[in-house]
Amino acid sequence: MTRPTLSPEIARVLNFVGIMALVGVLLGAYIYQFSYRELPCTLCLLQRLAMFAVAFGAAMNLMLGPDPRHYGVCLVSAMFGLGISIRQTLLHINPYFDGHTGQPTLEATANPAFGQAVMGLNLYVWGIVIFATVILATGIVLLFRGQFEPAKQEPQWLSRLAAIGVGALFVMATLETVTVFMECGLGDCPNDGSWNWWIFR
Amino acid sequence: MMTLTFATLAVSSFFLWWRKAQWGWVAVLAALMLGLVIFNGDVDFSQNLGIQL
Repeated sequence: MTRPTLSPEIARVLNFVGIMALVGVLLGAYIYQFSYRELPCTLCLLQRLAMFAVAFGAAMNLMLGPDPRHYGVCLVSAMFGLGISIRQTLLHINPYFDGHTGQPTLEATANPAFGQAVMGLNLYVWGIVIFATVILATGIVLLFRGQFEPAKQEPQWLSRLAAIGVGALFVMATLETVTVFMECGLGDCPNDGSWNWWIFR
Repeated sequence: MMTLTFATLAVSSFFLWWRKAQWGWVAVLAALMLGLVIFNGDVDFSQNLGIQL
């Protein structure tokens, strides 16, 4: 009987797919903030931070080879992001709550959602979906032990794939760092979703 | 603070790409710890948990 196995090469390709998916989500959020002219709040940025950290764990798998420690980075980061997403969802789950007085009201508009919905869900609810998916996918991939066996000589195409994946992550992280600096400077970030850049104040 | 967390990840990913640096996971955990401090400052635990039951 043959055991189901996952070679180090296939595991690295799967990690590449994960990185590109997360970079795609982060790029989407990045474009969204400019198209709707809404600066991300503190909790929104913390969710992006967690997505970068998950992608970094996958990037370590892609660049250095699969390792339980790298998957651990993905899991810890996803748990961090999930906590932040749930917190922000709970903040906006009750529209009959006046955030200024802390009292319930009869106005369903007292506690509106933060930002525009994408395909019916707000970005922080998408955050729950994404981080839960990451935890599930990482758990499933960890079931396969073959990927942790010493790899043969690294094929050329895999080195190129790793350079592309990690390069994309680096470019996105640098872009985000620049805009976060322009938004927040070195202090606290604005929480009202306005177009109020720190650098232009 | 927030800028510092993203800068940490950007620098770590650069060294992972350039030198295959193996210490990136430590930097990521440090960035997450910093994120936790920011989160703690954002939530006023002394007032409420922001949850309406």
